[in-house]
Amino acid sequence: MTVTPKPTGGVGMNPLANALSIILLIAIIGATYILYYGVNPLIFNALIGVIVGGALIGFGVHFVPVGGAPAAMGQAPGIATGVAMLAAGAGLAGLFGGAFAIASNLGLMTSIIAGGIGGALMMAITCMFVVLIYTYGMGIPSASGKVKVDPITGDSQTEYKSQGTEGHGLPFSSFVGGVIGGFLGGLGGTLIYYALLRVYELRLPALLGAGLLQAPAVVPVAVSLAGIFAIGIFLVNAVLAAYNITGTTEGFHDPKFARFPRAIVAALAASAVCGFVAILVAAM
Amino acid sequence: MTVKVEKIEGGTPHNTIMWAGLLAALVCLYLGAGLNVMFNAYTFSFFGGLAAVAAIVWGSNTIKTLCSYGIGTGVPSVGMISLGSGVIAMLLATRFSWYYAPIVAVIVATIIGAIIGYMANDVIMMKIPVMRRSMTEVAIVGALMLMGLSLMATSGYSLLSLASNPGLLGILPNYGGSFIGASIIAVAFILGAIAVQHPFNATLGPSWQQDRMLMLAAECGFLTMIPLALMSIAFLSIPAVIVSLIVSVAGWLYTYGQYLCLSQRDAAAWLDAKPIREPEGH
Repeated sequence: MTVTPKPTGGVGMNPLANALSIILLIAIIGATYILYYGVNPLIFNALIGVIVGGALIGFGVHFVPVGGAPAAMGQAPGIATGVAMLAAGAGLAGLFGGAFAIASNLGLMTSIIAGGIGGALMMAITCMFVVLIYTYGMGIPSASGKVKVDPITGDSQTEYKSQGTEGHGLPFSSFVGGVIGGFLGGLGGTLIYYALLRVYELRLPALLGAGLLQAPAVVPVAVSLAGIFAIGIFLVNAVLAAYNITGTTEGFHDPKFARFPRAIVAALAASAVCGFVAILVAAM
Repeated sequence: MTVKVEKIEGGTPHNTIMWAGLLAALVCLYLGAGLNVMFNAYTFSFFGGLAAVAAIVWGSNTIKTLCSYGIGTGVPSVGMISLGSGVIAMLLATRFSWYYAPIVAVIVATIIGAIIGYMANDVIMMKIPVMRRSMTEVAIVGALMLMGLSLMATSGYSLLSLASNPGLLGILPNYGGSFIGASIIAVAFILGAIAVQHPFNATLGPSWQQDRMLMLAAECGFLTMIPLALMSIAFLSIPAVIVSLIVSVAGWLYTYGQYLCLSQRDAAAWLDAKPIREPEGH
């Protein structure tokens, strides 16, 4: 009852499970190719977009410095909340930025980069206020517990670390990691949204029985449907990556960062399944 | 590698709650949609809310079963993945007619949930014995809950009724003002995600009691029904909205009172400075 062990998986991978996941991924891509490439290549490309977006999210979450409850007590570095909340915040902020760019018809590249910048901006603002509150509100200096010197600035960390803690505050590398994570998350979320939006804009008017005159009226439905699917697929990938991290991480210099390959495999297969079903909603 | 921290102590076994929750949710969905079709009325939409309550009660016990292993990321993450995978299954099911849709939602959610559970347990190597099963269950819970909430708001769960509102004159369908077009589905999504993760998140810890958590789950479900009943003003006739509001407010007041009594019971047991109770059984 008193012990609270947490899963402490190393960096190893399960070969059989990985092989099965890759087979599943290829099977879904192949099925979509056979079923829909002849109908319209856009539907097949959308599935690829969703899968790439999901992998970007799964990778990006590993950069985000997550402290959880220990960080709120100044006993671990990072932002004092869970992975799912932080990733959802960054991803949804990115999705809003990207959706604005898509609505203005700025093209695919501009739109997804606008989405990435939205997510990065949200994480940068969060990290800045986290540092302000830690330093001036709680009187906690920033010190990493996982590395001796900061990998970017080269500043020594050990002198500032308090006894009995895993580090505290938000070190510079974690700040940078958070911004990179937000950028990748926003990029992935917007890519999923863009891919699904194109499919729904194509298929929904006929599906809902709207005539040629009413086709523009269906756009809100396509936007909302693509948005809710993007949020759903985003949360699935973010939570899977969070399970991979299990608890707290400091960002890209944390030893847990080396676990990211298995999160990417999981994200590829999970977003392939979710993306296939999301495309079936309109294409079936 | 993982040690189960708290075992389920006493109370109703999880399997009983699972089957009861699944059956109750399906029966409520069919009752609501079927009676609405049969009488060509909106009045029975509140059955959708009751289906959501049943799903929330089941889901909260699943989350308790999973999170007692210490997943390390906090309880809310399970609520988020539940609705995230559930919404995908539910929206595919809306393509089918009303008597197939709930079953299709359960089947698609089972497939998606099983694959996500396999990813979490074997690829990511969480190695939690109930991981695959719990991920499957929470995906079904999310799909049924969202289906119930959309039935409550719009009197049906077909894609056509969710994506178009008959409009004032009944001639030109109003797509922008529909359940999906106006993104009311996003509100239902996040209301459901909070309702399913809150009960265990709020009651975990020493002296956890199953009946108190399940009562809180029912309370969260009825509380979720109230804003949905208010939003259904845009889609349903006024008598139907009033029926929905009466059912949800009455249910909320009753379950909140019951939850208050159970909280006082457990708090008193704690204040008397007895050792932490270890209920018998199971």
